[in-house]
Amino acid sequence: MRGSYVAYAFVLGLVIAPPTMAQNLDDMSAAELLPIAEEEGTVTVYSFTSRIARVEDAFEQAYPNVDLQGYDISSTEQIARLQAEATAGVANADVVYISDTPVVLTELLAEGIIEPYVPPRVQDLVLEQYRAPLLAQRLSTKVLMYNEEANPDGSPITNLWQLTTPEWNGRVVMVDPLQRGDYLDLMTEIVLQSDAMSEAYEAEFGAPIDLGDASSAGERFIMDLFDNDVILVRSTDDVNAAVGQLGQDNPPVGFTSYSDRRDNEEEGWALQVANEATPAPGIIFPAVVALASGAENPAAARLVIDFLMGDDSETGGPGFAPFYVPGDYATRTDITPHPDAVPLDDFTAWRIDPNATASIRADVADLILVLQ
Amino acid sequence: MTGRRVLFRQGTVLKTIVLALLVVLIVLPLIRTVLVTLQPDAIDAWSDVLVGRLSHNLFYRPLVNTLILGVGVSVGCVLIGGYLAWLVVMTNMPLRRTIGVMATLPFMIPSFATALAWGTLFRNDRVGGQVGFIQGLGVDVPDVLAWGMLPSLIVLTLHYSSLAFTVIAAALATVNSDLVEAAQLTGAKGVRVVLGIILPVTTPALVSAASLCFAGAVSNFAAPALLGLPVRMQTLSTRLFGMIEVGQTARGYVIGIMLVLVSALFLWLGNRVISGRRSYATITGKGGRAKRFDLRGAKWPLFGIAAVILLVATVVPIVVLVASSLAPSSAQLFGNWTSHYWLGQSSPSIAQGTPGIAYNPDIVRALIVTLGLGCAVAVAGMAVGLLSAYTVARHRTGWASATITQISFLPLLVPGIAFGAAYIAYLGAPIGPLPALYGTFALLVIAATAYLLPFAVQTGRAVIQQVSGELEESARLTGASFLRRLAEITVPLAIRGLVAGGLLVFVKIVRDLSLVVLLFTPTMPVLSVLAYRYASEGFTQFANAVAVVILALSIAMTLIAQRLQAKSQPWLKN
Repeated sequence: MRGSYVAYAFVLGLVIAPPTMAQNLDDMSAAELLPIAEEEGTVTVYSFTSRIARVEDAFEQAYPNVDLQGYDISSTEQIARLQAEATAGVANADVVYISDTPVVLTELLAEGIIEPYVPPRVQDLVLEQYRAPLLAQRLSTKVLMYNEEANPDGSPITNLWQLTTPEWNGRVVMVDPLQRGDYLDLMTEIVLQSDAMSEAYEAEFGAPIDLGDASSAGERFIMDLFDNDVILVRSTDDVNAAVGQLGQDNPPVGFTSYSDRRDNEEEGWALQVANEATPAPGIIFPAVVALASGAENPAAARLVIDFLMGDDSETGGPGFAPFYVPGDYATRTDITPHPDAVPLDDFTAWRIDPNATASIRADVADLILVLQ
Repeated sequence: MTGRRVLFRQGTVLKTIVLALLVVLIVLPLIRTVLVTLQPDAIDAWSDVLVGRLSHNLFYRPLVNTLILGVGVSVGCVLIGGYLAWLVVMTNMPLRRTIGVMATLPFMIPSFATALAWGTLFRNDRVGGQVGFIQGLGVDVPDVLAWGMLPSLIVLTLHYSSLAFTVIAAALATVNSDLVEAAQLTGAKGVRVVLGIILPVTTPALVSAASLCFAGAVSNFAAPALLGLPVRMQTLSTRLFGMIEVGQTARGYVIGIMLVLVSALFLWLGNRVISGRRSYATITGKGGRAKRFDLRGAKWPLFGIAAVILLVATVVPIVVLVASSLAPSSAQLFGNWTSHYWLGQSSPSIAQGTPGIAYNPDIVRALIVTLGLGCAVAVAGMAVGLLSAYTVARHRTGWASATITQISFLPLLVPGIAFGAAYIAYLGAPIGPLPALYGTFALLVIAATAYLLPFAVQTGRAVIQQVSGELEESARLTGASFLRRLAEITVPLAIRGLVAGGLLVFVKIVRDLSLVVLLFTPTMPVLSVLAYRYASEGFTQFANAVAVVILALSIAMTLIAQRLQAKSQPWLKN
């Protein structure tokens, strides 16, 4: 009898335990994950937003025995790094917080470099489309913003094609699309929306578009935009400062994150979204959270994702606080939309389709390379 | 007995070991990079870069920019470095010693720090947002002065001119007085002596100074990266970085290979120019130092020009960096100072809650990694350097020695950023049973050691030549083994030189950006890359504060090294 117990324990320990272990982690609540996470002691997060610094503070206050190492790395760079690390068989990161889903789905998830994880408690609180294939924590944007101090009557741009006119020569700012994937996605979406761009052209100039050497209205727009001396900078904060800085007589406009409006007061900016722009002010896209495959701290990693998804209060509590700002849209249906933002339903930005984007993204990148 | 002698001729084992080491460190990574681009899924990158519709922007325009930078900087450096060297070595200009010391300073300031300082001063409103100090005074700074080619040229010329100064001053110090005096006796005037005698005999120094500055400028990453983007100026090094950064590695590698070839071609041309002439021997058995030129009335004006150049190249960047690490707005560099960027705790209203650098765990970690890297590379570099130099010096003959010399200087031809790319291709993935080194401290150390080997070997050589072979010979006759001879005779006698060389290697790696910018991983941060990233994020003050830390480290270490290296500046002695 005793012998069979031993044998039973043996089987449990060696054969059954490892697979159930991983499953267990996926099914565990935060309270159950915590002791394991505390044993792991540390967790590394690659984040595409600098707000990770504030998440780090909040997380370590909630879980003082788990040291969160947050790294602010652009999505583009994260992808290159995660691929290099996978080739090298190194797992530096535990949690990946990233946008740029067209590449993330095709080159990270499909290749097994990252894995999905949905904390059990939010399973029913997030719409299916934001739960799979990867959990979206929020929706983010890259849209046209203007300086509301200099333009008290609303956006100076009502049609994207105005950006290609002499009046806006050298006065449109964005991050180099070859350095930041979000911006490449924006450019790609403009090409995908060529029909709408073509209509908008006619609405603005009263004549049908002449494509010239471009193969679509979207391509034509990008070519004209670059011809019009669009200014490329390195980070969204550079765009924000350029467009938003108070006290400018003739400020530029630029593509940046709607949510950066949150910093207006602290930074002395006057950023506002040009939601009226035809055919759309830009794109809205998911910011996803995932586990790095082979993460060294799997329990702590899950705890971080759980924390990032916010608590059950109306505004999502401390974990979501850095993201509860106008211009970021929570995917949790029970979090009240921010009162100061354009409601999601009225927001005219294009919702990107990661698969369609992925299919022509490289060509758009090459086009931009030629234009630079 | 005789059989054994033939098989293991003196030094054969040593030569083999050193040669193998150099092949592993330097030759294999380069070969590996070429091989990667020849894979079936990567071979298209060659046509994309060299002939396709992308080639214009991917390669040719960056190439033209790179060459303009290279030629412009080398001409500028030879003019400035030559001018200063002539004043310091050959004339009776006042305050020669001070000028001589100051002329070596700009090279200690990392070029990215000078580029940051330039931006702090000249940044205009093209990019909008914060403007620089000069625009803040109400002066409109034109784009050409704020961004792109001209600022890159100026920043790099100031940076590399001290290199030119050092090389040219050393050559001028050896000009034989007989030549000059003969000319003066036959009635030649000052200008004629300079053009007719001094210039011709120092041609090799001028050419090698120009080549070194050219190689430095074409491979420089920091200046064009920080100053070029807003006007879309790309050089081969920024293109290479951009391609690797967005995951188009094959195209990046091809650009890197082309960069190596361009750099090598020009250095080779420089060598050809020198070797075309017969003899440049200026040091003969007789003759002493020439009498210094009497500048008479031109004394102070010429001194004034030199002083202005050096103020601009050294004092101004340092002051600007320190001030801007304290000033919330670069438009008001000298007002509203705060110690937040150094000592402040995280505050959500400043730079997304980034705490001051003393409390910032990222920076503290980067400082530790950087110092560790500097020490490890200094030790490893000097060990390999000493071994190579020893082997070549004691066993001069044979193809192996010649090859060792050639290979150990090969990294001089390879721009840092291309070398970094090569090492990612080489050790980024596992080789057989060996684990991949991507993101490890070991990778940084190995790559940096290989990259800095030319300097280590050079120093090692100078050191070995000071130690007479006879001492060692007698030890050998009494039966001391190779390692024992090295440990008990060569190293103790050469320790000052070795430490000085190690410190220089330390400084070079601590302030380097181009090599480490690709090898950097967030979990293995180094200071220079952090400064670069802060600058990219628009956190100028943090970037400048980190630059000040690197600057202080570099200058302190260089000064110590110079103290240790007796006779490092013979031209300062009378």
